[in-house]
Amino acid sequence: MSERPLKDRSPRAFRLDEAGAPVAGGRLIAPDVDPYELEAARLVATPPAPRRRRLLSWGGVFWSAFGSFVGLGIGLWAVNLVEALLAANPVLGWAAAALAGLAALALAVILLREIWSLRRLGRVEALREDAQAAYAADDGAAARDVVQRLRALQPGGPAGAAVRAALDDLNGEIIDGADLMKVAERIVLQPQDAIARAVVASAASRVSMVTAISPRAIVDVVFVLAQSVRMVRRIAEAYGGRPSFLGALRLGRAVLGHLTVTGGMAIGDGLIGQVLGAGLAARLSAKLGEGVLNGVLTARIGLAAIAVCRPLPFLAEKPPLLSDVAGSLLGPSEGGGPEKTAG
Amino acid sequence: MTQANPYDVVGAARGLFDYAGNLVRPTLRLGVTGLSRAGKTVFLTALVQALISRSRLPVLRVASEGRLARVRLEHQPHDTVPRFAFEDHLSALTGADRHWPESTRRISELRIVIEYRSASSWLPGQSTLTLDIVDYPGEWLLDLTLLTKDYARWSRETLAGAAKPSRAGIAGPLLGLTGTMRPEQVFEEADARRLAETFTAYLRACRDDALSLSMLPPGRFLMPGDLEGSPALTFAPLALPEGWTPVPGSLAATMQRRYEAYKREIVRPFFREHFSRLDRQVVLVDMLSALNAGREAVADLETALTETLTAFRTGQNSLLSSMFAPRVEKILFAATKADHLHHTSHDRLEALLRLLVNKAMVRAESAGAEIDVIAMAAVRATREAQVRQAGESVDCIIGVPMRGERIGDEVFDGHDEAAAFPGDLPADPATMLSAAPSQRESAFRALRFRPPLLERHPDGRVKGLPQIRLDRALEFLIGDRLR
Repeated sequence: MSERPLKDRSPRAFRLDEAGAPVAGGRLIAPDVDPYELEAARLVATPPAPRRRRLLSWGGVFWSAFGSFVGLGIGLWAVNLVEALLAANPVLGWAAAALAGLAALALAVILLREIWSLRRLGRVEALREDAQAAYAADDGAAARDVVQRLRALQPGGPAGAAVRAALDDLNGEIIDGADLMKVAERIVLQPQDAIARAVVASAASRVSMVTAISPRAIVDVVFVLAQSVRMVRRIAEAYGGRPSFLGALRLGRAVLGHLTVTGGMAIGDGLIGQVLGAGLAARLSAKLGEGVLNGVLTARIGLAAIAVCRPLPFLAEKPPLLSDVAGSLLGPSEGGGPEKTAG
Repeated sequence: MTQANPYDVVGAARGLFDYAGNLVRPTLRLGVTGLSRAGKTVFLTALVQALISRSRLPVLRVASEGRLARVRLEHQPHDTVPRFAFEDHLSALTGADRHWPESTRRISELRIVIEYRSASSWLPGQSTLTLDIVDYPGEWLLDLTLLTKDYARWSRETLAGAAKPSRAGIAGPLLGLTGTMRPEQVFEEADARRLAETFTAYLRACRDDALSLSMLPPGRFLMPGDLEGSPALTFAPLALPEGWTPVPGSLAATMQRRYEAYKREIVRPFFREHFSRLDRQVVLVDMLSALNAGREAVADLETALTETLTAFRTGQNSLLSSMFAPRVEKILFAATKADHLHHTSHDRLEALLRLLVNKAMVRAESAGAEIDVIAMAAVRATREAQVRQAGESVDCIIGVPMRGERIGDEVFDGHDEAAAFPGDLPADPATMLSAAPSQRESAFRALRFRPPLLERHPDGRVKGLPQIRLDRALEFLIGDRLR
């Protein structure tokens, strides 16, 4: 804009004429948006925290009590077995004891990894919430804390080291809270976003291809399920997490929860295109249309998984749309190719 | 200094009674105060109107989440305290000849009943919160300083204040009159009257625009309520020599007796009956008048605020304290009339207010009370725009300045709209208190605007008063009780 801010800062008033323009000449520029509305919107933008799950539920009590009960039984059986074998043949007995010990050790390691993976998932969730709050409040200290935690989430190895070094460079610079987070998002998440997007796109096209040519519905179901699970795992890996079994279960639940929440929105922004695209394919072949719809659904699961796995909300980056990951499935109107007039 | 007398059995019993009632019917007592012209009446009117008419209050969670069921006025708990004349004040604001309502002259009360749906899963269904609002002049809090002073000391300090050079223009009659009165002369009611009138006129002049001073006890001289003319308000400072002892029947002895009566009969009961039972408090501060008047007014405002704030008994309530001597848990300091400045100046306004109330804040926070400072406008009288002229742009506010307001050599008639740029507030608020008065006198000048023209429903009802951050204030003050 060519206008400079005022040099002489002494108080003054401008009389306005009937039309609302200054009498002494010049123009009056009203702001587009009321700044106080914006401020209020920013204050309430932080959504209320989801209700915490109850610490104690009868279902939980049942499963833990039942599990312990069965565990006791197995332990007793193992001890009895080893004792019986020792009595019968000491060599066999010691071998059995060693096997049991090895199995217990492996189980402990697996459990530890499960716990670690679940905790990481929890940390990612907490980080995303805090990041949203810090971004809304433009809070410098909170933003720095968020960036530090994001750094801690990065995997070891050369790729992670490069990202960490880039984040450390940020430390010295004086940047606003919100801007700092945007820069960190660009450094850390831009490459990871690209990988996640590619994963979703390839899974979606594979699903649509296979279900289009597969002979039986049950094959479709199994294949889509397997592809979705694999896709969610790979998205989690793209963002630096290696989900274990329980972690994957929890992730799957979060993804489904996210899908039900955003389902309504998707109807608003993309379903017309989805149905139109499918309609076009379906006109060519019923089976082909089915394949396209399956692909689109897989892509939506993928988008939900990205939203759940990403350690920061989308700040400066645009969240991927369905057309970004499933564009090739959706026909010319969403694919972006130039439309040709039918000859 | 006003900690409850530990043997105050009546107070403790009343506290216990309130506590028991609170269990049956949740009640929150909200105090609204501020020095005169801080905007108490407008604040309270806007607050009640916003709740009753269910205005858009995005930051107030109970409203934005759609859990507010019904808000109504109810008859107040005390039969001897005047009711806050909400309807009159609202019609003053919204009537054909829209003007700011009459100021608070005495204590008044209003009870609002808020019905809402609780958000917690423990208590589903309809809940009710009774909000008792107590509106009282902030000047009365200044009387607290009198409780620790005897007549001789108060006289000396008041006359020393009047002798300051900046008050030379207005203190003449008072100093002249006290100079002619001898403390030991025989008491005549006519003399006392003349003294009290001169003293009141002096206090009033101190408060007016040019000086805009705030630290002017005794508070009832400026806000007499229904006590005007009674002996307890007919006294004045006298020039007393060092080591003075009252001679029975003399002028000074009678003045001393009346001074003590003022403390005993007026100051103490107010604190006991009303003030000591508040749960939440909002302190409204008119920063703009002080800023308009300049450095001395700002420094005086700081003194007055610090003095008033020593009155609050703050902190988190324990079970015991909430039963017998409840404390103020939350205090909100609000710089009112923020609509008279562009929103880009609000951070500086807040910073300045934060500096003024800093001492009180530190004390209250260490006691565990929650404190917040905001710049707000209970009724927003202006809108914002940029004026571009000759390649320069300036952030202005647009409204109808009140009749007789002036900025530079422009004088306004109270009808035409104008865009105003009031100047910049200092980036470092401390300069407003400490630096030598080197800045030009006219570096800051905020106009006063008339109330806004309001949008109306077809049937003539008002659509809701525009506001700035009233919702934030409400969320802070009562939001936690409406979860």
